[in-house]
Amino acid sequence: MNFLGYERPDGQVGIRNWIGVISVMDNINPITRAICGAVDGTIPITTLFVRGQFGRDLEIAFDTLGGMGRNPNLAGALVIGLEEYSTGQIADRIANTGKPVETVILQQTGGSIAATAEGTEKAAALVAEASSLRRKDLPASTLTLGVECGGSDTTSGLASNPAIGRAADRLVDDGGTVIISETSEFLGAEDLFAERAVDDSVKQAFLDRVLGHEKASMERGLDIRGANPVADNIKGGLSTIEEKALGAMSKAGTRPLVGVLDYGESPVHKGMHFMATPAPAVESMTAFAASGCQLIAFSTGVGNIIGNYVSPTIKVSGNPKTVVKMPINIDYDVCPIIEDGRTITEVGDELYEYMLDVSSGTKVASEILNQRETAISRFEPSI
Amino acid sequence: MTRAILLNESDNVATLIDDGSSGDDCLLQGEGSGAVKLGRDIPFGHKVAIADIGVGGEVIKYGQVIGLATEVIPTGQHAHVHNIESRRGRGDKSA
Repeated sequence: MNFLGYERPDGQVGIRNWIGVISVMDNINPITRAICGAVDGTIPITTLFVRGQFGRDLEIAFDTLGGMGRNPNLAGALVIGLEEYSTGQIADRIANTGKPVETVILQQTGGSIAATAEGTEKAAALVAEASSLRRKDLPASTLTLGVECGGSDTTSGLASNPAIGRAADRLVDDGGTVIISETSEFLGAEDLFAERAVDDSVKQAFLDRVLGHEKASMERGLDIRGANPVADNIKGGLSTIEEKALGAMSKAGTRPLVGVLDYGESPVHKGMHFMATPAPAVESMTAFAASGCQLIAFSTGVGNIIGNYVSPTIKVSGNPKTVVKMPINIDYDVCPIIEDGRTITEVGDELYEYMLDVSSGTKVASEILNQRETAISRFEPSI
Repeated sequence: MTRAILLNESDNVATLIDDGSSGDDCLLQGEGSGAVKLGRDIPFGHKVAIADIGVGGEVIKYGQVIGLATEVIPTGQHAHVHNIESRRGRGDKSA
């Protein structure tokens, strides 16, 4: 199937046409927000930390900020930094996409007012340039979808996750790419998911990520598996850890696992991927955006409304109370699976059509209401 | 009305989406149809066997094995922690 998207110089396809204003470090965030407040068509990509980070964490921070800048939903980027070196680290990571990239370096411009003024002028020029681009009819094979859940309950495993899974299968069948993340959610059924791997190296890479996560937790003295399913899960009807994990991973559909990615890493193949990320949604979705996902499908039961700035986030719920209590924050209601006896296949197919509508420009709640956030995972202390 | 969702056509358990009472004809929806007579009260969100499962038999949901039956689970019976055992995380059974 097709949708209307924006072609980028590197051959990728965007479903939005924003200018990203990117903070290189936390100390520059107020300037980024001021520029975005002044220029329509921009989105702020702010971050905590970076200053004083080192080793793997600093690489993740640079790669994630650069990755979000590279995301084809951005027509161009304006990188706001404190000093030259780190600003160049981000700008250089974006420039080889062929998209326009501008920088503002506070220590060179002389103060926040001058930096904000320079950034506002540059952002305005980038928005004007981007606005001349037009959407074209493009195949769904150009899309990468991240699948996520948060605020899960019984209905997540019965309706919203399987419906997203069906839509994910449709996208893979159309030649597109799907990424599921949240490493800890696989514990207990990782061997079942591993059976979907296309070959032994993919299978081993997946198992290494999940079992390594378990080992790291145990080394810190944490028990993340023994208490699963917890008492309220059992009261709710979940019998085994396999059942709980399968409910979460049902949002990944049923197609073969073709690749394993680290935090924010871009897929090189089409098809179904796993990405190793922490479970909290904002961190996980930030990694999706950095990897190039243009779109996220987010399953929620009791209600979790947050979205990502770069990748429009479709909130899907099959909880009849939630869709009545917070309709303004829920984009897609899959309650008919429970309420009206409609099949997961039918509802998932309709959800897939809605995903293509969103890809063509239909706005989701978290965009309209600006319920969006960025959080880059960190694994080590700062200096 | 008592209803249960079958998530995969190969499943042998379905999940109730209403509170069911013993003797109810529980209607199946989702990836299957028909009905099973409930052998006991089964709450919302819990599972009912839609086929007889023998001792040690695989309990299948999402088309995957979620555990093994520790006793015979006849059609219509509640399938839960009292008669399903995980194949995973059994530290009490490891050396």
